[in-house]
Amino acid sequence: MPAFAAAKTALISLLLLLSLNSQAAEHFHIDNAIITKLGNGYSLDATLHYPLSPRVIEALENGVPITFLQHFQLTKPFPIIGKYTPWVWNETVWSTVIAYELRYHALSEQYILLTLDTQKQRNFPALEMALKALGKVHAFSLPPKHDIDPNSMSLEIRTELDIHALPTPMQPGALISDKWQIASPWVTANWP
Amino acid sequence: MNTLKQLSKSPLPYLALGGLLLVLTILLSTATQDSSRLNDLFLPIFGLGLLTLLLLIGLLFRSLLRLYRDFKTKKPGSKLTVRLVSLFVLLILISTTIVYSFSVHFLHRGINSWFDVEIEQALDNSLAFGRTAFGDRKRTLLRQTRMMSGVLSEVPVSEFNTNLRDLTDLSGAIELSVWTMDGQLVTSSLQNHNIIVPDKPNEAIFRQLKQKEDYIGLDLSDNDQLQLRAAVLIPKTGRGKDEKVLHVLFPVNEQLSELGKTVQDAYTNYKELNYLRKPLISIFTLTLSLIVLLTVLASIWFAIWISRRIVQPLQALADGTQSVASGNYNTQLTSKGDDEIGFLVRSFNQMTQRLTRARDATQVSHRLLEQQTNYLGAVLGSLSSGVITIDEQLLLKTANVASSTILETNLQPHLEMPFSKLEQQHRHLQSFIQMIITEISHKISWSQQIELHAGLQLQSLMCRGTPLPNNAGWVIVFDDVTTLIQAQRDAAWGEVARRLAHEIKNPLTPIQLSAERLQIKYLPLVPEDQAEQLNKLTNTIIQQVDAMKDMVNDFSDYAKSPSLKLEPISLTAFIHEVIGLYQSHSKHKITLSAPVELIVTIDSNRFRQVLHNLLKNAIEASEEAKLPVIIDISYRQVADKVKNWLELTIRDSGPGIPDTMMTTLFEPYATNKVRGTGLGLAIVKKIIDEHQGTVWTENIDPLGACIIVRLPLEKTTP
Repeated sequence: MPAFAAAKTALISLLLLLSLNSQAAEHFHIDNAIITKLGNGYSLDATLHYPLSPRVIEALENGVPITFLQHFQLTKPFPIIGKYTPWVWNETVWSTVIAYELRYHALSEQYILLTLDTQKQRNFPALEMALKALGKVHAFSLPPKHDIDPNSMSLEIRTELDIHALPTPMQPGALISDKWQIASPWVTANWP
Repeated sequence: MNTLKQLSKSPLPYLALGGLLLVLTILLSTATQDSSRLNDLFLPIFGLGLLTLLLLIGLLFRSLLRLYRDFKTKKPGSKLTVRLVSLFVLLILISTTIVYSFSVHFLHRGINSWFDVEIEQALDNSLAFGRTAFGDRKRTLLRQTRMMSGVLSEVPVSEFNTNLRDLTDLSGAIELSVWTMDGQLVTSSLQNHNIIVPDKPNEAIFRQLKQKEDYIGLDLSDNDQLQLRAAVLIPKTGRGKDEKVLHVLFPVNEQLSELGKTVQDAYTNYKELNYLRKPLISIFTLTLSLIVLLTVLASIWFAIWISRRIVQPLQALADGTQSVASGNYNTQLTSKGDDEIGFLVRSFNQMTQRLTRARDATQVSHRLLEQQTNYLGAVLGSLSSGVITIDEQLLLKTANVASSTILETNLQPHLEMPFSKLEQQHRHLQSFIQMIITEISHKISWSQQIELHAGLQLQSLMCRGTPLPNNAGWVIVFDDVTTLIQAQRDAAWGEVARRLAHEIKNPLTPIQLSAERLQIKYLPLVPEDQAEQLNKLTNTIIQQVDAMKDMVNDFSDYAKSPSLKLEPISLTAFIHEVIGLYQSHSKHKITLSAPVELIVTIDSNRFRQVLHNLLKNAIEASEEAKLPVIIDISYRQVADKVKNWLELTIRDSGPGIPDTMMTTLFEPYATNKVRGTGLGLAIVKKIIDEHQGTVWTENIDPLGACIIVRLPLEKTTP
């Protein structure tokens, strides 16, 4: 009864579309975002944790490359009406995104972490190591000092899975499933 | 609510639906042509599809609701529409279900056919084979690295650089580097001189080395080339204080690398595809279901629309037929198209036109018939003869006005009733009805005269019966011939009286003169004893001749009918004048009681004779019966349906009129008196008839008679 099964699948998919799955997966989170003064500028150190859900790990092990995005932005509050009103518009002064691709190389039994901007690859024999390396932001250089005013600006970090980089058939499911919606919130780094 | 209704009537939803479908088609075609754009277009397509679906469901729901309402209120044509829609929907559902199930089946089979257990096994095996192939090489290279580390352990750190270069050349490695355990580069030798910084071993390698385990592994270089990475601790020989790591990157044979890469790619692709099988099927099924659902809903909606369009002219026809059935023959429908329904509508229009013409013709003929009936009725009504018709069941069908007048019975309430019933309600018609029933039983035309006793008067009717054609009954015509017979009788009597007067009056004068001469001439000559007898005899002759003369004069009067000299007179004065002549007798008591003065137009001389005759009759009747003479004269004005009358009544206190004489009282020689010619009342009747009046008598209980005279009062009629 393929028709029946298909109808069932369609129905389940529709139901999935209409109701979000309530069982939430653990989200990414960010620790110890610290800015240090380094010569003429600032550099950022932070630890990003990537607790992957079993669904994501399953995809990874089945050869699906997963793309991680790390967002960095400098924002400046901008009062909308007056200086003392609570309504504030955060103006983004500077922002950047670093994209990493993580995939499993079956022949070498290695997890390969590819920095998409530089095309630099790193090999890891275990997933945890790869994630740890991915999550370690070390001495990330911020724009030159004269552009930055630590008193009025704040540096915010956020990391997420790039669902649009997934293979097409997986996207609809990932878009509506919170198993894939595990982005971290914006975290503000501390000025030195 | 109103705006919602207006919106639901406007074509806006349909336009929106069309637009959405168009956009959806464009998006879908774009997405299928360039699959990379599907990522960006998926959500818009899905959203639009859902929106279209909702709009379509709304439209469909509205159509179905309208259909249900029509069906519920039994609107003409709704049953047929529902039947057509049900049929269409059934067809659509059956066909789409078949197509859908086959499509899903083929989809599953198509996608599942990409995968095969054997291929999967082969790929697994080839991967394992590759790993094994690299395993051998790994072991060789590890040994080689260990040997190199042994070489390095013999030399001081300052000479590492030279040794490394030699070792690089000897081993054919890509790069050799020496690291401290905390990740600091000591020295390195690279085959590629463009690269300055050597590749740093990652933390995992250091961790492994800390546990005194050497590392050898296959990995990918930045340019996606396979390479073998080895890291071993350089054995301590006492010269160096801290432990150092020799890190070597070996190239992999190009052919092997290429093969390995192929195996890796094929394996990964297959595995990914296998993993994506379920979501792929789901998404294809979902898309297919959405399209099928859209198609089905659109088809159902279209089925309703087309059914309505098909049924609409039929509905108009049904309405038209109903309208014709209720009598509106002018119904015309607008015909559309050249198909059978158009033909039907045109035929309907022709039919109604013909019906209208036929009805008009019927109305005209009906009007003609009515006119003829009215004409016939007018003719019958104006006839002085009575005309009645009875059918073969002896039901009274028609009776004209004259028939009611002649029979003195209103026949109109008795129409359509058995003729014999009339007899029970009106006894005086008994002989008339019996005669008719007897005569029509002979089934031939007949003619008969009959006497009817209408009150005290005798009525003579002349009846003729003729059977109607087609055994439809009888028509009976009758005339009141009473007056005619009376006139004939009067004429006969007049002739008799005139002759009598002429024949008898002539010899009477010589007889009287002779008797008088006899008395004068021979009375002195006869003896005295005989003279008295002679005198007596001649006197008798003279008296009898006188009496005969009177009688002859009466006859003469009766026979004479001079034209009336009408003049208006005062009735009271006139009667008083006549009464005055009778006042000389003291025992006679004659009174006049009249409430008002009346002026009547009569011939006074003739009417005076009437009064004299009536009074004389009354007095003589009372005197003969030795009764006191008390006569009361009165008059009054009475009105019947036709005109006003003067009713003059003369009452006496005499013995009354015997019953046997009642009907013949006014005929000549009808007298019970000792003296008299029997012409007094006949003359009265004649004069009254001449005045177009009537006269009759009634007996008064206990004693006396009453003579009533009615004269028309044209002048005083308002």
